[in-house]
Amino acid sequence: MSSRPRRKRGAGREAKRAARQKASAEVSAWIDRKIPYFEVLDEEALELIEHNADTVLEEIGVEFREFPRALELWREAGADVDGERVRFPRGLCRSIIQASAPREFTQHARNPARSVRIGGDRTVLVPAYGSPFVRDLDQGRRYAKIEDFRNFVKLAYMSPGLHHSGGTVCEPVDLPVNKRHFDMVYSHIRYSDKPFMGSVTHPERARDTIEMAKLVFGNDFVEQNAVITSLINANSPLTFDDTMLGSATVYAEHNQATVISPFLLAGAMSPVTVAGTVTQILAEALAGMAYVQLVRPGAPVVFGTFAAAVSMQSGAPTFGTPEPSLILYATAALARRLGVPFRSGGGLCASKVPDAQAAYEAANTLQTSALAGVNFMLHTAGWLEGGLSMSYEKFIMDADQASIIGVMLQGIDLSENGQALDALREVGPGAHFLGASHTQANFERAFYRSIVADNNSFEQWEQDGSLDAAQRANAIWKRMLQEYEAPTLDPAVDEALLAYMERRKLEFEDRDY
Amino acid sequence: MIDEDVNNEAADEDEDDIVLAELPDGELVEQMHDDLYDGLKEEIAEGTQILLDRGWSAEKVLNEALVEGMRIVGVDFRDGILFVPEVLLSANAMKGGMELLRPLLAETGVKPVGKMVIGTVKGDIHDIGKNLVAMMMEGAGFEVVDIGINNDVDAYLAALEEHKPDILGMSALLTTTMPYMKVVIDEMVKQGIRDDYIVLVGGAPLNEEFGQAVGADGYCRDAAQAAEMGPQLLKERREGVGA
Repeated sequence: MSSRPRRKRGAGREAKRAARQKASAEVSAWIDRKIPYFEVLDEEALELIEHNADTVLEEIGVEFREFPRALELWREAGADVDGERVRFPRGLCRSIIQASAPREFTQHARNPARSVRIGGDRTVLVPAYGSPFVRDLDQGRRYAKIEDFRNFVKLAYMSPGLHHSGGTVCEPVDLPVNKRHFDMVYSHIRYSDKPFMGSVTHPERARDTIEMAKLVFGNDFVEQNAVITSLINANSPLTFDDTMLGSATVYAEHNQATVISPFLLAGAMSPVTVAGTVTQILAEALAGMAYVQLVRPGAPVVFGTFAAAVSMQSGAPTFGTPEPSLILYATAALARRLGVPFRSGGGLCASKVPDAQAAYEAANTLQTSALAGVNFMLHTAGWLEGGLSMSYEKFIMDADQASIIGVMLQGIDLSENGQALDALREVGPGAHFLGASHTQANFERAFYRSIVADNNSFEQWEQDGSLDAAQRANAIWKRMLQEYEAPTLDPAVDEALLAYMERRKLEFEDRDY
Repeated sequence: MIDEDVNNEAADEDEDDIVLAELPDGELVEQMHDDLYDGLKEEIAEGTQILLDRGWSAEKVLNEALVEGMRIVGVDFRDGILFVPEVLLSANAMKGGMELLRPLLAETGVKPVGKMVIGTVKGDIHDIGKNLVAMMMEGAGFEVVDIGINNDVDAYLAALEEHKPDILGMSALLTTTMPYMKVVIDEMVKQGIRDDYIVLVGGAPLNEEFGQAVGADGYCRDAAQAAEMGPQLLKERREGVGA
């Protein structure tokens, strides 16, 4: 009787069940793109848009409102400053940006394995940003609270397809306006170890964000490395306001990254045509990014774009429509030509609930963003109702799509194993591949397995309660929050953060503005 | 029985190593369930031989070690824990044990768990689903006679006549071929042999209602369910006959 020693215990049913509960997606800090960019404009067309943007900057100019420092810097740089209106000699903004703005940069996370590389052939997927409301199947639509904020930070932390913790994952309206940034930044640090975004609603709050980051990363490290990426919106058309400029200036001074984002609802805030809107986006982004380089040459900047079309019937923003997709493709190409990272996209939709409209619209924009070559994809998960609402269920559905994008952009494996000639030889005509040794060796990672989709037979699906995608997602986020375990945080750092927040909160009165 | 000291010594050496021959019966059977689950054919053959050497009857080995192990595989296949290629490995491992047991079972005249004739109906060459069902039924301890694809009434009837199965399984992937199941069943009725068999039908375009309409005993939505329903209906029938 053979009595050779055998493999270790721990295999069998228990081990398999445990392994299969885990998500199938490979966890990586970002996506390395291995497929070409989808281009909708040729060289000549892109040059035309660039020429027109320079015309806009030269003739019409951009207003830098209630922020004298910007006007001084522009005057020194050789722009024509007329009141708050700044007009730029052709090519000035481009040359300022190309002289010092990094083509790509690392945003460090407190867990180095989670640090992200932003720019080049890389894509970083980031949760949705800025919703005042949250929504779930159980409680419906309601104002977001800090508890919701923490929940979304936790869900993003646990989602393998999302690389970033985001910023204002929802607006915690239960906290005073002038102090909520403390709890938001703290939540990102405490409940996640992915990189995060900073407060931009006041320069003072940007400073608090940096101070808190310094408690985590150390003073010198923060001054030399990007540890915060923050969202600076243009007040389109062709305007930057003091709030955004103030925050952008603080972050740039400390070498922190900013996403300069023209925010356009085409038809209302930009012309009704794709070419006109793209021209305006380029002009605004050039002016904003060049300003950041004037504040501190070399501070990381991202060319941002948020473009939706306005319904000419009602004035309401629409999403997932073809024209903004064309805008996105064109703008991504312009950012590549300029040589800076690009932000756009996400799971955008106008639907009020995570239904077919939400899924179609979000899928359109997600796929466009992926194929266009977005480097920093804000609003990847959770977005509902034009950004007014952050949905727990849609967050799960979108995070699943995020993992799909990660697989898609990896392109086609042409290794010997990928070519699979052995499998074709082994099986031959008329048989099946399910038991082939190539299949045995590869099946587990061969195809993306959705955590949301139901692929069972009708009868099995019916037996499981006839649940739709949103209902299945509802069970998933609840289970995730139950199973959530916080990443370790040095107790001394935690104490320092809490002490800083406590001290700062006592320094001024609560205010709701 | 296993010497306690030997066991402890082995445990001291490396508590993770498993030597099948040193496991007491209960643990060995559990280990075989795990090994079936993991698709380890050699280990299943080894475990089967050890139990036989310890004086277990072939029938007891079949039911308690192999069929029970494959039942667990079936449950986890149904629940999406195990994947198709893994279940194929499990079924293959089961064969490692069956090769040893089959001659013994025949020798001792033990009634097999059951016998099934299975094939796709006339005009339909899509057999992957049918193959999965055959595999799962074998896993459930059945002797499966696979008559392949594109079977007309005569082919089915000839197979029934020759193999005398408990169950006839018919499968179709196309809406244009699935009505042929009724042709076969009608002919069985006509010849007065319909009630001699349990008839199970399956295939993507079928449903429960269709199964009833053509006069089948059951519609199986997938292979795992076939492997549950087949033995269940057979058990009911045998108990019914015995009562």
